[in-house]
Amino acid sequence: MTTSIDTATPGVATEPTPQPTLDTLDEAHLASQSRDTGEPSWMADRRQQALSTWSGQSWPDRKKDEFWRNTPFARLVDVGRPLITGADHDGDHTVELAVGVVDHLDAPAATVTIVDGDLLDVRVDQSWADQGLVVVGLRDAAAGPWAGIVSEHLGSLTTTGHGSGADEDRTISANDAAWDAGVFVYVPAELEVKAPIGIQAHVTRPGVHQPRILVKAEHHATARVVLEHVGGDLGDVERTSRVKAPAVVNEVVEVIARDSAQVDVVSVNEHGDDVAYLALQKAAVHRDATVRHLSVTLGGATVRIRPEADLVGPGASAVYSGIYFTDEGQHFDVQPYMRHLAGHTTSNVLYKGALQGDSRTVFRGNVFIHKDAKGSDTQEDNRNLILTKGARADSTPFLEIECADITAGHGSATGQIDARNLFYLQARGIERADALRLIVLGFFNEVLDRIDMPVVAARAQAAIEGEIAMTDLDRVTVSEVAPNTPD
Amino acid sequence: MAELEIRDLTIRVDGSDILNGVTLDLEKGKTLALMGPNGSGKSTLAYAIAGHPAYEITGGQILFNGEDIADWTPDERNRAGVFLAMQYPVEVPGVSLTNFLRTAVNARLDEDKPVREFMGDLRTAMSDLQIDESFLQRSVNEGFSGGEKKRFEILQMALLKPQIAVLDETDSGLDVDALRVVSEGIDSLRGPDLGVLVITHYTRILRYVTPDEVHVMLDGRIVASGGPELADELEDHGYEHYVVSA
Repeated sequence: MTTSIDTATPGVATEPTPQPTLDTLDEAHLASQSRDTGEPSWMADRRQQALSTWSGQSWPDRKKDEFWRNTPFARLVDVGRPLITGADHDGDHTVELAVGVVDHLDAPAATVTIVDGDLLDVRVDQSWADQGLVVVGLRDAAAGPWAGIVSEHLGSLTTTGHGSGADEDRTISANDAAWDAGVFVYVPAELEVKAPIGIQAHVTRPGVHQPRILVKAEHHATARVVLEHVGGDLGDVERTSRVKAPAVVNEVVEVIARDSAQVDVVSVNEHGDDVAYLALQKAAVHRDATVRHLSVTLGGATVRIRPEADLVGPGASAVYSGIYFTDEGQHFDVQPYMRHLAGHTTSNVLYKGALQGDSRTVFRGNVFIHKDAKGSDTQEDNRNLILTKGARADSTPFLEIECADITAGHGSATGQIDARNLFYLQARGIERADALRLIVLGFFNEVLDRIDMPVVAARAQAAIEGEIAMTDLDRVTVSEVAPNTPD
Repeated sequence: MAELEIRDLTIRVDGSDILNGVTLDLEKGKTLALMGPNGSGKSTLAYAIAGHPAYEITGGQILFNGEDIADWTPDERNRAGVFLAMQYPVEVPGVSLTNFLRTAVNARLDEDKPVREFMGDLRTAMSDLQIDESFLQRSVNEGFSGGEKKRFEILQMALLKPQIAVLDETDSGLDVDALRVVSEGIDSLRGPDLGVLVITHYTRILRYVTPDEVHVMLDGRIVASGGPELADELEDHGYEHYVVSA
C-alpha cells in the first residue's frame, strides 16, 4: 500500500551556486537559506556558530575517535553528497511513499510527514491542540510564540552540557548548522498526551537529509513520540563506492523531560539499502521524570544510532531498549549512553540483535556515573544472536564510575541458537525452520514486551519475521550439540 | 507387532559406547518400566528414541510401526506419534507457552485447530494437571519449578496424543503431592491407544502407574525382565545384586 503525494514546494529560492555537500557547508549558503525560510536572526546565528565549530573539526576517524572505532566513517558515509533541498523537485513530481507504523497508529494526537528535507504535512488532533499540545515545524515555532522555548533548548544537548554534549563530533555540528526539516513538539505542564505523536521521515532521493526534532514535555506531562524512517530504495543510483549509500540521513533529536514528565520515544528504522543513517537521539531527564526509548533498527546499509540520556535531576530514570537485525552487507552501530548526573537516578538498558549473512553489528553501551550521583542504579545488557557464518557482532559495555555508593550491573553475550532449545521444540513436532523462527522471535520478545504500543510491537514482529523469512534457514548454525544428560 | 521395537541397539555418545545391544518391544496399551542405577544408559535410550543428534546409533535398529526411524528428525518422530517427556526440560526464552503448544499441536495433528477449540482443550488439560491458568502468560519452562516443568511435560503429552510416550525420570525432583498429580495425569492418559515407557530410578512412581513389565538396565544392557513384582524386588534389594552377577 502506498500513498501518492505532491511534493511540489513553492517559495524556495533558486540556488545561485551549486548545492553544498556535507563536506562543503558554507556561510553564504546557510545565510541565504535562513533568509529564504524566514528564520529569526538568533537561529541564523546559531547555524553560523555551528558552522564555525564544524569548520574547526574533521570527520570522525576510527583511529582517533574511540566512539567511531568500529565504524569506518570515511569508508561508509558519502560526505560528497549534496544537501537535499526541496528546490529540485519539479512542480508535478509525485512519489510513492512507503507506509509504516505511523500510518497505522490508532487515533494519533498528531502526525508529521517529512519527505526529503521538506515538512510536507503536520496534523494535530483538534481536541489535543485545544488542550495545549503543540506540534509544529521548528522554523515556525522559532518565529512564533514558542521562540523562547526553542531558543532555550535547541542545541542545548549538542553544544553545551554534560558528557559528550560539549565535545560532539562533526556529524552533530553539521546538523546543528544545516538541519533541514525540523519538528517541534511541546506538551504543557500536567497534560498527559497518551495518544501517540507520529513523525514519519521519507527518503525518496539521494543526497544528505538532516532532520531535527525538539520535544519538550513540561512538568508532569506525558508524551509518546513514534519516529519512523522509511524509504531509501532508490534503484539505480550511481555510488561513489560499493559500500557508500547514496542517501545520508544525519539526524538529531533532543528531548527535554521536565520534572516528573513521562516521555516515550519509539524510533523505527526501516530504510532501504541506499541509506546511511546517523542519529543522535538524546534526552535530558529532570527530577523524577522518566524517558523510555526504544529503537527498532532493521533497515539501511549503514546505521549508527546513539540513544542517550542525561539524568540531570534527582530520581530521574531512563529505560532504553532496542532491537536490531542485520542481513547481507549491513553495518549497524548502536551506542546508548547513560549519564547519571544526579543522585538516585536509574537507567536500564537492554539491546538485542540478530545477525545473518556477511553483516556486522557494534554495540557500545556507555554509562557514566558522576561523583554526585549517589544511590544511582544502572543495569545494562546486550545480547546478540549470530544466525549464519560470516556475521560479526562486537559488544562492549563501558562504565565510567566516579561514585562508590551505587549499583551497577552489566552483561553482554553473543552466541548462536541454543541447540537444546532447538531439540526441545523439534521433539514436540515443530519443524526445524518453524522452531528457529519461534526461537528468534522469542529472543526479541523480551525487548518487544517493553513497549505497550501494540501497533509498534506488531510491526516490529512482522519486520523480524520478514528478516527471518530472508534467512536461509538451512544455513543457520546452532551451538554445539551436547548430550542432555550424563546418564 | 509392537509399535516400538528396539533391536540390538548400540549408541555412542561423545565417543563412548553407552548402549551395548538393547532389545525391547513396546506396544500400544502396554506400560513398561525401565529401571536402573544412574549411568546405566536409561536416558540414553530415551534420547536415542526421540532422535537427539548427540546420540549416534552405531548398531541395531529403532523401528516404529515397522519402519526404521534412524534417519528421521526429532520433529518427524514426534509428528508420527513418539513422545519424550524429558528429565530436564529446557527453558525457551520469549516463546509463550500458548504459542508453543498451539504450534506443536497443529504440527502433530496436521490441522489448524480453531483457537477456541484449542484453548478449550488446553484449559481442560491444565485443570486436570492442576496447572494454574497464569502459566499461559509465561514463556516455555521459564522460571518453572522442577515440579512445574514435569507437569508441563505431561500436559504436552496429553495434548499431543502420542502412540508411544517415553517418560524419562518424570518422577525425579517431585515431592509427594506433585508426584501424585503427575502420576494420576499419566495414568489417566493410559489406554488402548498409548504405549508408555516409564524410565525411573525408584519405584515410587510405579505405585501410581502400574507397569505390565519391568526391565532392568545396567551398563547399557537389559539384565533382567519380569512383571511388576520385579520392581518390588528392586525396592527391597537394590541394584547391587545385578552388579555382582553381571
